[in-house]
Amino acid sequence: MEWGQTITFSALGVHFLVGLSRAMILFIVCSGLSFVLGVLRVPNVAHGSLYMIGAFAAFTLNELFGGGATGFWFALALSPFVVAAVSLAAERALFCHLYQREHLMLLLFTFALMLILGDLVKIVWGADYRSITAPEVLEGSLPILGSSFPKYNLFLLFVGPLVAVGLWLFTNKTRIGKIARAAAVDREMVDAIGINVSWVFAFAFVLGCFLAGLGGALVAPTISITLGMDHDIIIEAFLIVTIGGLGNMWGALLGSLIFGVTQSLGVLLWPQFAIVFPYLAVVIVLVWRPTGMLKSVW
Amino acid sequence: MQKGSFSWKRIWPYAALFIALLFLPMALSRFYVYITAVIFVTALLAMSLNIVVGHGGLYQFHHAAFYGVGAYTFALILTKTDLPVWIAFAAAPVAAALTGLLIGWFCVRLSKLYFGMLQISLGSLLWAIVFRWYSLTGGDDGIHGISIPDAIGTINRSYYFILLVLAACVVVMYMIYRSPFGKTLQAIRDNPERCEAVGIHVRRHQLLGIVVATFFAGIAGVLFVVVEGSVFPDLLFWVLSLEVFIMCLLGGWFTFAGPILGAAITVSLRTFVGTYTEYWTLILGVILILLIFFLPEGVMGFIIDRVQGKKTLEE
Amino acid sequence: MLQVESLRKSFDGFLAVEDARLTVEKGEIVAVIGPNGAGKTTLFKLITGHLKPDAGRILFQENEISGLPPYEVCRKGISLSFQVVNVFSRMSVFENIQVAVLSHQNKTKRLFSPAEKHGVEETEEILRNVGLMDRADRVSGSLSHGDQKVLEIAIALGNRPELLILDEPTAGMSPEETSVTIDLIHRLTSDLGLTILFCEHDMELVFSIAHRIMVMQHGRSIIQADPETVRRNEDVQTAYLGGT
Repeated sequence: MEWGQTITFSALGVHFLVGLSRAMILFIVCSGLSFVLGVLRVPNVAHGSLYMIGAFAAFTLNELFGGGATGFWFALALSPFVVAAVSLAAERALFCHLYQREHLMLLLFTFALMLILGDLVKIVWGADYRSITAPEVLEGSLPILGSSFPKYNLFLLFVGPLVAVGLWLFTNKTRIGKIARAAAVDREMVDAIGINVSWVFAFAFVLGCFLAGLGGALVAPTISITLGMDHDIIIEAFLIVTIGGLGNMWGALLGSLIFGVTQSLGVLLWPQFAIVFPYLAVVIVLVWRPTGMLKSVW
Repeated sequence: MQKGSFSWKRIWPYAALFIALLFLPMALSRFYVYITAVIFVTALLAMSLNIVVGHGGLYQFHHAAFYGVGAYTFALILTKTDLPVWIAFAAAPVAAALTGLLIGWFCVRLSKLYFGMLQISLGSLLWAIVFRWYSLTGGDDGIHGISIPDAIGTINRSYYFILLVLAACVVVMYMIYRSPFGKTLQAIRDNPERCEAVGIHVRRHQLLGIVVATFFAGIAGVLFVVVEGSVFPDLLFWVLSLEVFIMCLLGGWFTFAGPILGAAITVSLRTFVGTYTEYWTLILGVILILLIFFLPEGVMGFIIDRVQGKKTLEE
Repeated sequence: MLQVESLRKSFDGFLAVEDARLTVEKGEIVAVIGPNGAGKTTLFKLITGHLKPDAGRILFQENEISGLPPYEVCRKGISLSFQVVNVFSRMSVFENIQVAVLSHQNKTKRLFSPAEKHGVEETEEILRNVGLMDRADRVSGSLSHGDQKVLEIAIALGNRPELLILDEPTAGMSPEETSVTIDLIHRLTSDLGLTILFCEHDMELVFSIAHRIMVMQHGRSIIQADPETVRRNEDVQTAYLGGT
């Protein structure tokens, strides 16, 4: 336990910002999970697998477009769509036939999907880890608060709120977004109005997975892209969505912030047990508010 | 100790099976005896989960956490202390049940999905602690080469030990299944509101069910260490919990012995498939999808429905 | 025996019950009538603890029970038979009633003896009383609707209540089933000494067996009196009986 080191203000500040930027990725991924949870009332266990596919797809697209800056931006732009396509295929072929069944069956289906996608990634990309480098403009770090802060994390701090605002506009100002939100609260009503609820579900599922893929593409330059990414992220995403309030987008943001920041501060304060800090924060929140900090969408 | 409707007609198939299993090590090679022992351990774990899922209707999504607690308690007492072995045997299920009580107490305040998500959270916290506490638990390496007492140290001896423990546990679980508590738990599964209306304190009974289930999970954890000689954090990993869930579904969670069948099929397939391909997870996923679509009552449920269907036709 | 005073309950702004008042004496059969949405089921749920009142009091045998959880209200001696059939559909008829009996006998936490040895006589007695003995082993989900409604009452009897509350006991029943149920209600009061509180839409039934009737409208109690007084009351006539 390294209490010996002096914790400077600048170290604290930079770790806080790093935690914040990591929270942005978590938020993008969790907003997708929360959205699906809200509309379909099922936690998508395969959400982490789609995140992982997003990262691997970004790698391949990056190579395809020659690497460097062009490769990166094309990869970032296109891999969410690749993931969305995969999810649409799974949804239309299998998932949609289960909507009438009880929720436990839907959950188990997403678990099966996670198992299958996990091995599919192994088949397509193999077991070696991959990496992708960010373009030069985002490489390196800036001096902030007396310590060095990676430029890429700054980029994430911009992208995160952008996605949040975009998502909010989409679900509140577009027709289809509003229908999806209505279906979350009362699907019978939506059905009674004559809207095909099945298509609303398909849309919500695909949008959620799109966000997972986007998260995967964004995180790709900061980590080694490996198998097992799906397991790691899905637990974190589940916890965040649970403490935020099931289906609640702002709850996902709040939960991501708490998780990301506590994790980063944990690295600073007690590196060996850094992983315990966010889990502990989750336990504290859940003891205080068992159904999440913000109201669940249903 | 009376057994209610005790009749040779109903007991003999199970007695025969038990006797056949006693002779198994003489007929099979060491490897297959080992695999059968693994099936027994997994079967016990699956049966313990079914107490709360199939009979109780709870969304116990992270049952493996209690299995892991039992295994680690047993391992730690054997390797880090000089306490006699029997204390380790006794302490492990108790530790698992206490963990079940603690985590369960938080979870039963919630219903259905919230219950499950909270349990995943708390169970994952446990996993994270075990994963990182290198000095105590060996971290992600786990603990290996645990010295198991000679009396049950070899493959064959451990096989018999595990078989006997499994048989004893199944008998006890059957008694509980047929007891007033078992019926109450099933009633709670079917209609918790109605249970409240007839004077049943639903949460308290659910908690009792969780304590019983996690106690048996702890025993399964001990048996795991006996057959493998090591422990690792994967035992508390959430994916294992869902795998056990699948075993209950595969076997048929509304039946009593379904989970045993589910465990047997899953472990056998995993071993068999594993010799041909490394993509067992893919196969498991496909099996699960087939189950969801075509056999939601599980294999045993399907068989029972068929048999009962034929009976009513004949009547 | 039962006293409901100025009960009030609203859901997210909708005032379901505003000023409900009711008294039930031991051994009586009291009926609650009123148009759909008058708050009858809500009132019953408030009495039995499934809902918590916003204001008002409920007294049972001089003790205040307002706000107690359902399992405690049940232990005090009040049983509810639900409007929408609410049975243990995967279990047999016998087991359905047995669960209630076991709960009454405080045996629900027994782990190590077979359920067949407990509560059998009491369960069979109830089965005979309600006339379901011949269907005792059938899965309750497979019974006809009328039989399930009778099972509803049977489960409620498992707790040996002093006050039995029936929420629309003959809803959806054929005329034969209805008259059988009326007989049952009579027998419950005369042979078992139960006090009965029920609500119904079948006016003939209500006026033929109730000792006193309470009329509700828009969540308020308009009047509680013997059938003749109620029939002649002007408010009741305009509000409810007028059109029929």
